[in-house]
Amino acid sequence: MKSLFSSMRDGLGFDIALVAFALGFLLLMSGLPLVYNVVMSFQEVDMFSLGTFSRPFVGLRNYIDLFAQPETYPILLNTLIFVVGSIAGQFLIGFGLALFFWVNFPGASWLRGLFLVSWVMPGLVVGAIWNWILSGDFGVLNFILRETGLIDANIFWRSDPDYSLYAVIIANIWLGTSFNMILLSVGLSGIPGDLYEAAELDGANAWQRFWTITLPMMRSTIGAIIALGLIFTLQQFDLFAAITSGGPNNASNVTQYWAWELSFRQYDFGKGATVSVVMIVFVMIAAMVYVRSTRHEVRG
Amino acid sequence: MVTGMEECLSQDNETEEKMSFRKYAIIGALALATSSFFGLNAQAEDVTLTLWSLDRDIQPAPNLIKEFNAQNNGIKIEYRQIQFDDVVTEAMRAYASGQAPDIIAVDNPEHALFSSRGAFLDLTDMIAKSSVVKPENYFPGPLASTIWDGKNFGIPKATNTIALYYNKDMFKAKGLDPAKPPQTWDELVEAARKLNDPSANVYGLAFSAKGNEEGTFQFLPWAQMGGGSYDNINAEGAVKALEIWKTIIDEKLASPDTLTRGQWDSTGTFNSGNAAMVISGPWELDRMMQEAKFDWGVALLPIPHPGAERSSAMGDFNWAIFATSKHPEEAFKALEYFVSQDDKLFQNFGQLPARSDIAIPKTGQPLKDAALEVFQEQMKYAKPRGPHPEWPKISKAIQDAIQAALTGQMSAKDALDQAAEKIKGVLG
Repeated sequence: MKSLFSSMRDGLGFDIALVAFALGFLLLMSGLPLVYNVVMSFQEVDMFSLGTFSRPFVGLRNYIDLFAQPETYPILLNTLIFVVGSIAGQFLIGFGLALFFWVNFPGASWLRGLFLVSWVMPGLVVGAIWNWILSGDFGVLNFILRETGLIDANIFWRSDPDYSLYAVIIANIWLGTSFNMILLSVGLSGIPGDLYEAAELDGANAWQRFWTITLPMMRSTIGAIIALGLIFTLQQFDLFAAITSGGPNNASNVTQYWAWELSFRQYDFGKGATVSVVMIVFVMIAAMVYVRSTRHEVRG
Repeated sequence: MVTGMEECLSQDNETEEKMSFRKYAIIGALALATSSFFGLNAQAEDVTLTLWSLDRDIQPAPNLIKEFNAQNNGIKIEYRQIQFDDVVTEAMRAYASGQAPDIIAVDNPEHALFSSRGAFLDLTDMIAKSSVVKPENYFPGPLASTIWDGKNFGIPKATNTIALYYNKDMFKAKGLDPAKPPQTWDELVEAARKLNDPSANVYGLAFSAKGNEEGTFQFLPWAQMGGGSYDNINAEGAVKALEIWKTIIDEKLASPDTLTRGQWDSTGTFNSGNAAMVISGPWELDRMMQEAKFDWGVALLPIPHPGAERSSAMGDFNWAIFATSKHPEEAFKALEYFVSQDDKLFQNFGQLPARSDIAIPKTGQPLKDAALEVFQEQMKYAKPRGPHPEWPKISKAIQDAIQAALTGQMSAKDALDQAAEKIKGVLG
């Protein structure tokens, strides 16, 4: 009894208790909903059977139906373009800004803080503002492009199937850039200054210093940011709701918006869950790639 | 409020013991505020009903309830406001878990979803006996939306429809007769071409082809005028209608943003003088009276050819009683009271009653009165969407067809054929 108590305080028992708590929390808060979602994807669920558990199992029919729909592959491709485009834009601009503020001119830290304003704003508000900016007839963006002579005729960002997805990507890049910048700034400030001094003495130029010191030292930060970016872009729903509603004709529809549309507009909860499961599979693949790529990292 | 309650209680000549029980019952009830709880406490004098609707404090439901409760007729109604987007999901969840309210206001295309599954109470017999609610007093469209399987599962709460607003000043400026708004589809396109003036940032027409319920709401009347319907969406006339829409978009007689803009925003461009005509409903009247700095009028929706059948959309909510209500008689009494106040619906809240026997009183504003007359006329031709329990899926097929055709990804014929195929799958 006494040994059990002491192991609870310090030893194996304590470890098990910690693990059990974390596992229990995960199971309750993430595992159960996840399993529930997967189960739902094999059932026919509508408004009336949503509150009960006795729902007809339909096997793989939701999946077969889903992939037989003509819009499925375009929407999956849109999701890929949205994720890659958003992350690339947010990361590159964010990194550029982080390097810029790293120069540490007077007021740099203040200004860097102010950049976070865009991150703090709710997605629906950002969406409403970009809705105006991207508006076809009277939008600010069209006005600027026209006045600078880049375009002759207005681009209907929200309503032209060739542009609508990119309209949302632009808004999402604006929304996420500052968050990327802050995290990257933290990473940059963690690189010891003497590394650069030594490199400079050895005659490395700025480009070589960036390529051989900054980037390798930032590896874990960049990995984390890309992983977070993937999560944030796959969660991005408000901008779609506010700017294009996935239109026109699904040209800017992505899986996360589509899952909501199926569940809460057409009340086909089974199909909505099916789309979510497809998303989970893709995120797991991405997560595995991320874990593998950072496995060899030297942790200090 | 609590003091009032206690005074009320102290007037009772009951034993101390019972009084304290009641006090606790009421306090408990206030905390729980569920209909089932009240069902258990039948000793309580007042029958308490719960009512859910999306009306804000300046809209009908809360005010009608206040008036009703003030009558002290032994029935008290508790009100809960729900957001538009949550009405169906909240109601369903509540129904599935036995917590449904007694009365609910539900959007008319969603009505059949509930009635077909037995969630709403069949009111046919109560209405037959009622001296207040008379089916013959209602416009056929709103009434039809409450009917499922030949039985009456609700009462229209208010109604609206769409018609053509046009800018009379622009008509004059472009040599069109403001007393003769376009009557047919061809005339509409012709007028839009004349009124269209890109150099002045003016589009000929504004409407909504958005990929949500609004798109269906605006297109279905055109399909119906062309002899189509939701279960015959690829009728020749419906294809013609979509081709007309495509002409309007292709020739930029309406903004390309029509595809992603709702009716409210589209009408905004009319009010600001950036569109010469707009297809929208009477809910715009108050805003237009304030914003539009020009002379305007309203005309019936143009028809395919002279003498063709008229049609229009039908919007707004219906009252219904949940089948699980413990007090159906009292709930119906409440609805009867609401119906008896229909004649003040427009005056007090700016909403059109769904009744053909009520004349809308003159507002004294000539533009508005003239417009209301047209909307009352248009209301006669308004048809419900469905009614069908799977309406959202049918509507989605129609929206997809509209957007596929207008973005040029499919021909109007192919798009509507595909929609017809999808709808056939839903109808079974």
